[in-house]
Order: sequence, then structure tokens, then C-alpha cells
Amino acid sequence: MSAAGTSQLGGPASLDDVLNQITTTNSPSSLNHYLRSFAPKESRDTILASILASGQDPLSVLDPQRNTLGYLYILSARLHSTSSPTPTLSVIEDFCSQFDPEQARLAPDRVTLLAKGIVRASESSNNAKYALPSLYSLVTRYPPDLSYLTTLHAIFLKTCVATCHFTAALPVLAVPITSVDTSLSDLHYNDNLVYHYSGGIALGALKRWREAEEFFEICVSAPAQVPAAIQLEAYKKLALVQLIQNGETVPLPKYTHPALVRLFKASAYGAFVKMYPTQVETLRNFVAKEQDTFIQERTLGLINQAIERAPIWLIKKLTATYLTLGLTDIGREVGISSVEDVRSIILDMIDSGEINATISADDTVTFADVVPHFSKEDLDRVLVQAQEHNRVLHKVERAINTSREYLSKALKNKDDGGWGMEEDMFPPGMGGGTTWADD
Amino acid sequence: MAPPSPPSVPHSQATMDVDEIDEGSQQQLGSQLNAFKAAGKRRVVIDEAHPFELETYISSYSGRTYVDRLLHIMSTCPTLAPQALQLAVEEALKGRDTELYLEIFHRYQRAHAEARDEIPELSALAEPDQRWIEETNARNQAERTKLEVELKTYSSNMIKESIRMAHRDLGDFYRSLGEYTNALKHYTKSREFCTTSQHVLDMCMSVIELLMEQRNYSHIATYVFKAEAALDSASMVRGQSGPEAPAGAAQANKEKKNAERLRAQTKLDVATGLSHLGQSNYEKAAQTFLKAGPVKGLEDWTGKLIAPGDIAIYATLSALATFPRSTIRAQILDSDDFSMYIEQEPYIRELLESYMNNRFKNVLEILERYSTRHYLDIHLYQHVQNLTNLIRSKSLVLYFQPFSSIKLERMGQAFGWSVQELEQQVVALIQAGEIKARVDRQNKILKAKETDQRAALFAKAMKSGQDIQAANRKLLLRMRLQQADLVVKPPKGQSQGYSYGTGHASEFLSGDY
Repeated sequence: MSAAGTSQLGGPASLDDVLNQITTTNSPSSLNHYLRSFAPKESRDTILASILASGQDPLSVLDPQRNTLGYLYILSARLHSTSSPTPTLSVIEDFCSQFDPEQARLAPDRVTLLAKGIVRASESSNNAKYALPSLYSLVTRYPPDLSYLTTLHAIFLKTCVATCHFTAALPVLAVPITSVDTSLSDLHYNDNLVYHYSGGIALGALKRWREAEEFFEICVSAPAQVPAAIQLEAYKKLALVQLIQNGETVPLPKYTHPALVRLFKASAYGAFVKMYPTQVETLRNFVAKEQDTFIQERTLGLINQAIERAPIWLIKKLTATYLTLGLTDIGREVGISSVEDVRSIILDMIDSGEINATISADDTVTFADVVPHFSKEDLDRVLVQAQEHNRVLHKVERAINTSREYLSKALKNKDDGGWGMEEDMFPPGMGGGTTWADD
Repeated sequence: MAPPSPPSVPHSQATMDVDEIDEGSQQQLGSQLNAFKAAGKRRVVIDEAHPFELETYISSYSGRTYVDRLLHIMSTCPTLAPQALQLAVEEALKGRDTELYLEIFHRYQRAHAEARDEIPELSALAEPDQRWIEETNARNQAERTKLEVELKTYSSNMIKESIRMAHRDLGDFYRSLGEYTNALKHYTKSREFCTTSQHVLDMCMSVIELLMEQRNYSHIATYVFKAEAALDSASMVRGQSGPEAPAGAAQANKEKKNAERLRAQTKLDVATGLSHLGQSNYEKAAQTFLKAGPVKGLEDWTGKLIAPGDIAIYATLSALATFPRSTIRAQILDSDDFSMYIEQEPYIRELLESYMNNRFKNVLEILERYSTRHYLDIHLYQHVQNLTNLIRSKSLVLYFQPFSSIKLERMGQAFGWSVQELEQQVVALIQAGEIKARVDRQNKILKAKETDQRAALFAKAMKSGQDIQAANRKLLLRMRLQQADLVVKPPKGQSQGYSYGTGHASEFLSGDY
């Protein structure tokens, strides 16, 4: 702190002074404070982006791992500066794979700045995918673990989707977000929306419908005072993904903003969902009528996939009503005139395990129930998951019980009963429900 | 949108089947379908299979509803029109409503236009009596002036009770003229001058009668509610004043009042039932009709508004359509009060017994045989089709219950239907989730669904486990987001408006997705 004072007194600081501080200050937090305040706000980044008096590149002097904080400041400033040369790709990649997360977490805004800078630099070099390895290192190394949401998540996923490198995002998407810490990353509500929206798109493009459904749902049902446009877009895609996956839409959680549901129902998608599944021809006619909307909103691909799946859902419905049916009867119900087409659809469905049926020589299809099989291992796995989950919830509950807000509220209402007593009144793990309900 | 080619429409299957059967010799089915078509056209036939005695039917009614019912019959069944015309004219001449009188002739002309060859022209039967019309109109005018002058005098004298009675008389007067809005206006006005709950009750009863005549089903409930409130406070006041009178007299008084209350309650129940029926609320209709007390509780309503036989029919059909069998037994067959109603229409008992004994073919035949009676009923005709369908579906469900598999042919025999017709019905019921079974279309067998309970339980447990975990995860994230205040907020600058975020959305939608 005193260091910051002296350099300011001795006239405008030069990069050499800054470098000196970086290499000599031992405490990362006081260094952070210095870097934040060593010069007036306007000129700070210009100084950071300049080169040393000796004409040397400051980044070549510093060690990414030891001097992470300083390196981070200079690198991010450099990436955003127009006057100084952009650092080379290998420098960025080296830093991203070697930086010390502990130090970097002191300056979350600079990390965000760095990530944005990387995307900008790679875009300007017309090779957006160059950014991916660096961003991947950042997003995996920066947070304590992947369950923390950071601004980096949104930036990384957006880049993945923009460059069509969907598989690159999978390791990140595999860990669901359960923790949010604003001191770890300068988050905006949009980061959450963008991350889950683009995650849904990436998973959808890879045809991992179930996971895509969850990502879109999180985006749609994110807490909102007013609905965001991206949430409505996510809702549209969610509905289509559900049609592909289940043949019908699942009602959204109750906490979804009601305006979204209203807006959706009034849209062309609402009408499509309502008529689905029906005969392919009817669906195609409807889509042809609304084609402009679907093309403009770039959902035609999903729509077409949903239409292709429509006969499958119709056949599945038939299995609930009939035990045996002729192929021609099925064709008539589904709206496919060619018996061979019907046969191949049914064979595909049998192969993929969607229905349990046999086709006899006289073209009679006999349906049987799909018998679910569970092994002991399956059950054990599920039980372990449940216990794990229980532990997490228990931990959350305890955290809430010790939180300032809860305690002050409990203290205020202690005479009303039902407050602060859960731990004693219920066996561990049971109290969770009541705490939620009260809160 | 181009219309889909016929073979691809699911319903075309149905219509094709129907046509085939119609052409075939399935007489039972054919006549049934004819009846349905007739219902569509609101035209009912009377023949050997569908007997109907107009005079016997109409003799249970009197007054305005007598004419109203005949008018309804004229428009739904033109072949009865000449007879109905005579009866209606005769009755209308006893009243003072000239509009209604003229309406009878209009209706006849319309009926004649529909069935020109079957019934004679109006001029051959009767002519409106112009002299009667003029005389009656003049008399009505005089009466109206008299009543209005009375009201004015009372109003200026501020005699509350007289004002109330003047309003009531005017209401009655307008009601007899068929001017319902004016009648309602005066009845409701009289409410302001009511001094006892008995007056309020009387007012409500008048309005309910009016609404029933008008067939304004949705409003009945409001006035029934008001009447019940008035009834409650009326009996409470009496309870309080009881002790002052000598003990024996109080006792007798109380009993008398109780009986009175019961009678009013019966009327209110019938009105409510009718209101539910009119709004297609069959289950509630059956419940309230069955709650109604003994026949004599209807008092002056019998014939003037509704016949006890009507109540039997409404209640039974609604109950068959919605109640489980045990309730039907307990509430209809074992009810003493209600058997009085059923006595009025013997076929209703036959219908009930056939149903309880699983003779479903008989049930459907009775329904078909008396469909004319039902279609000609002023309150019921709109619901005949619905109720018949409901009863048929319930019969199918009941019939199949004990079987694990049954040949469609045998089932068809029990209902008197062809296999195609039955299959159609059954498939509709399966898809609606009413019957847990599947159709073996190749062998024409209906087979109950066998579920492996153990596997189903496992599957369900696994699924709910996964669902709950996912829901927990999402809720946890939601909670964290809210704690961190990462909530979507309206943008500060209004210029951005709702388009916030769309920039992102379309920006990275560049993939061939």
C-alpha cells in the first residue's frame, strides 16, 4: 500500500516501476492493490500495455506462474490495446496453462477482460478456434472446481458454439453448475443465461437431447423479474428438443416467469407443439406456412428433426391401444402410404429399443410391453447418488442455518414457533424440507 | 393448407365404417344412427320403435310451461305439430300473453316449412283470433296502468310494505306477459323494500321460477344462494322468538316451520339441479336432484314448472352417466323419496335395473326407445346425446372390468353392435384412458393390460429418483443465483426493451444446427 503511494508521488509511474513492484512485492493482495491504483484510471492500461524502457517485452521477463497477477494485468491490457502489438498465441497459451489460480482470483475482472481479449484477438485474426485451447485452460483452471459458474463459462461456450466446436465444450458441460460466487467472478445474470443457452445448443447439435433439455430449462426458468428475450428463444428450443426426445412437452417448473409461457403459447411454436405429434403431412403444411419465422429464428433444423420423429410417437401411441395391427393399418394411422417405409420405421424402433414388437410374415405387427430391467449395480449406483445428494443438501441446510440472514430472522420470529428448531425436531436430512418452505 | 388426401385422415376410417353399417342390415344400429342424425337436425321421429303420447305427456303440465313445451315439440318434431298447435292455442287463450299466442302460429309455419308433405297448412287448422288479441292487449294495458299508478301512490306515501307488494304484483304481471326483463327488474326492485327474510325468500323464489321458465340456467345458482341465506336467517329469527310463545305452541310452530323449510329446500334443490344440468354439470346435477325431498315438497311447481317424472329422468340419466354403481344403488334404488319420483316414469326403473344387472344391451335399447321422449323435453334435449355417450362409455368400461380378455364379437353381442362399431368405441375409450386394455386387431380380441407391478415399481422409483435429483440440482442453482442477485432485471434504458439478449441469441446461431 505504501508502495503505491511512493510511486505516485514520484511522478507518473512507468512500466519499469510497475515491473519492479511485480517482481519485488511478496504479498499478492498488496500487489493487486498497487496494480489497481498506481496511476489514474485512464492511463493505467496504456502504461500496462507499453514496453519497457529498454525496449524489452515485459512478458518475457515475468514468469507466468510466479508473477501470475502482474502477468495477468499486463497481458489483459495488451490484448485490449490498439497501439501495442498483440501477444503471440503461444504466450497466451503458456500463461493460460501455467497461471496460479490463487493469485488470479484476486482480480476476477482482469480474468474476464483477458478472456474477452483472447476471443477478440482470435476473431481479428479470422481464426476464432485458436482461442479455444486457451479459454479451455482458463475455464478449467481458474475456478476451485467446475461446479462454480464464472464469466469464463459463458465466454468459452459462446466461442465453442460460434465456431461449431461442440465437442470441445463437453468436459465443461458435464459438470452441472451448482455454485455461484460473485467474489470469484464478476458475474452478470446474462452470463448464466448465455452459458446455459449455448450449452443447450451445443448438446442439441450433438443430439444429446436429454442434457440439452436440462440446459435449456435452466435458462428458461432462471430467476427473472422480467423475461429476457434469450429465455424465450431457449423456451422455443426447449419445446422442440422435448418433442424430439419425448414426443410431447413437459410443463415447465412453477417458478418460470409466467409471461414466458404466455408469449410462447402465442407463437408459431406454441401452435406446432399443440398439433404435435400428428401426420407428417399436416406438420409439413403448417411449417411451410410459418417457414419465414422458423428460418429467421434458425430453428428449422430442430423443427425438421421433430417432424421426422412424429411417426415414431404416433406408432408408440398405437402400441398402447393395440396388441396387433397390420402394417397397412399402421400406415393409415400414421399417414405413410408405403408399407415398406412403415416396416423400416418399425424395425428401427425395435432395434433402438423404443418398442418391443415382432413383425410376422403376413405383415402383422404384434406389440408387447417394454420390460425394464435393472441390475443390482444399477440400484447400488442410484442409491449412492441419492446418498451423495442427501449429503449435499444437508450441508446446504446447515450452511443456511448458520447464515446471518437466517439467524436474524429466526431470532426475530423465535416466539412464533417453527423457527430455528428444525435440527432438534427432525432427524438429520428431514429438516431440509421445512427450512425451504419457511424461507 | 391443402386438404390431406382421404386415406390419410384418421376419421375417414370411422365414417367409412359407419356408412358400411348403415347400408347393411344392422337395423338396431341403423336406427340409432338415424336418431343421432335427427338430433343434429333437431328433428325427432315417432314410430313403432319410438313411441310417444303427446296428450299423456303434456297433461302433466299446466300454464306457461305447457305452451313452452308444446312450442319446443313443434320445432323438434313437425309431425306432432298439428296436434300440438291445437293444444297450445287452447291453453294460450286462457292466459294473457298475446306474443306467445302469435308465436305458436309462427312456430307452426316454420314446422310446416320443414315438413311440407307431412302436415297440413296452417290455414286449414286454425287462424289467430284477432279479436281476442285486441281485447287482451287492451285489458293488459289497463291492468298495467292500474298497477303502475298504484306503485306511484305507494312510493309517494312511502309505505314500505305496499311498495314491495306493488313491485311484486308488477313483476307477476310482466311475467304473465312473458316480458322477462321487466319482470326481473320489478322483482329485484322489491328486494329493497323487504322487511323480513320471508319476503326475501319469496322474492328469490319468484326470480328462480322466472329464470327456470326462461331457461337461464347460469343465473339460477345466484338466487338459490340468496334464497338459502334468507331461509337460514328466517329459521334463526323463529328460533329466537320461540321461547316467548307458550311451550306447546312453540313446538307445533317449530314443526310447521321445519316442514316449510323442507319444502322450500326441495324446490331450491330442484332448481339447482336444473341449473347444473343446463350447464352440462351432470355429476352435480344428479347429486342435487337426488338430495331433493319428497314429491309434495314441490307444491305449486308440480306441473307449473316441472313434473316429478322429469326429475326422475334428469337425475337417473345424470347419475348413470357419472356415478359409480354403489352410489347409484345407495342413492337411487334404496332411496324412499326418490322412488316416488321414479314411479312417475316406470321405464326409468327398468333402465336402472338393467344397468345394475349388466344388461347393457337393454340399457341402450331403452335409451334409444325413449330418446324421442328425451329429445322432446325442453330442458333435456341438448344433453341427450352427451348423456347417452357417457352412459354407453361407462357401460363398456363396466362390462369389460371382470375380463382379462374377450372376443370383440361377444362383447358386440352384449351391446348389440357390430365388431367395427364396437372397436371404434373401445379404441376411443382406451385412448382416453378409461379402459386399461389393448385391442388385438388381427384376431379381434380385447385384452386387459398386464403390468408387471414389480418392474413398474422399480421403473417408477428410478425415474422419480432421477427427477428429484435433477430438480434439486436446478433448485440449488436457482437459490444460489438468487442469493448472488443474478436475477434478470428490466434494463435501465427503456430503449433496450425486451430485445435484450437477442443480439447474443442470433449471433452465435451460426452453426448448421
